[in-house]
Amino acid sequence: MAKLGKARIKAKSKKGVVTVKMMAKHPQLSYQEAERAKKKPDWITQITATVGGAVVFEVSGSQFLSKNPYYKFKFNGEKGGQLDVAMTTLTGESKTFKAKIK
Amino acid sequence: MNRRNFLGLGLGVAAAAAIPTQLSAVDFRATKPKAWEVINKFKKGTKGDLATDGRAAAIKEIFGMDVDLTKNDSKIKLKTPAIAENGAVVPVSVSTKRAATKVAILQNANPESLVCVFTVPAGQPVEYSVRIKMQQTGDITVVVEEGGKLYASTSNTKVTAGGCGG
Repeated sequence: MAKLGKARIKAKSKKGVVTVKMMAKHPQLSYQEAERAKKKPDWITQITATVGGAVVFEVSGSQFLSKNPYYKFKFNGEKGGQLDVAMTTLTGESKTFKAKIK
Repeated sequence: MNRRNFLGLGLGVAAAAAIPTQLSAVDFRATKPKAWEVINKFKKGTKGDLATDGRAAAIKEIFGMDVDLTKNDSKIKLKTPAIAENGAVVPVSVSTKRAATKVAILQNANPESLVCVFTVPAGQPVEYSVRIKMQQTGDITVVVEEGGKLYASTSNTKVTAGGCGG
């Protein structure tokens, strides 16, 4: 069952620093919440953002990130490039999202 | 230097330059599975403290080192709300001028201690904002690794409504 929905990603470049705001769509069920809802625990475990093959952001997450987790981060980069964000969940689902750096 | 040697040299340099930009994903859930299972040992309804919660143990699992959690590092800027009205969405911002390689966020309000671990790619700035869940009032700790040393900063957040579906 696909739980990982569309992600909203905005990447803006200013003076060589790109600010990325992204919000993934995922219920992020912790063990407790899953038990109450009688569903399987599931959350985004790994996010890797790359520009042209180079990793610019990487996080290993737990169940304590909020529902529809929001991330904001910065990296050095110019506009015009393409940001690829790969997400993996506990159940092994994985998706890659693309965004243009504006 | 003849042409052949020169070309070979160029290839070597190109290969060396390519290494740092390789896709080097570190999945801490796969490499450090124990760290995610470190539980916060405290009775329900009581506030966790350093002696009973799992922060120190989780830090040791992730970084393989200890850190003095009683001190706040002045070079780490940790921004958390003093009072969170909704424990399901607690905004946490971290930034530091330190040349960090790893940044971890931990708390002592939920069943397990560790929230997330960032791997900082070389030369990239450390400025992260996330939203975390907090079941009850507790401390949020950020640990930064720089040059084989750990630095920590802690901030208390009062939660008026629980975050883990409670």
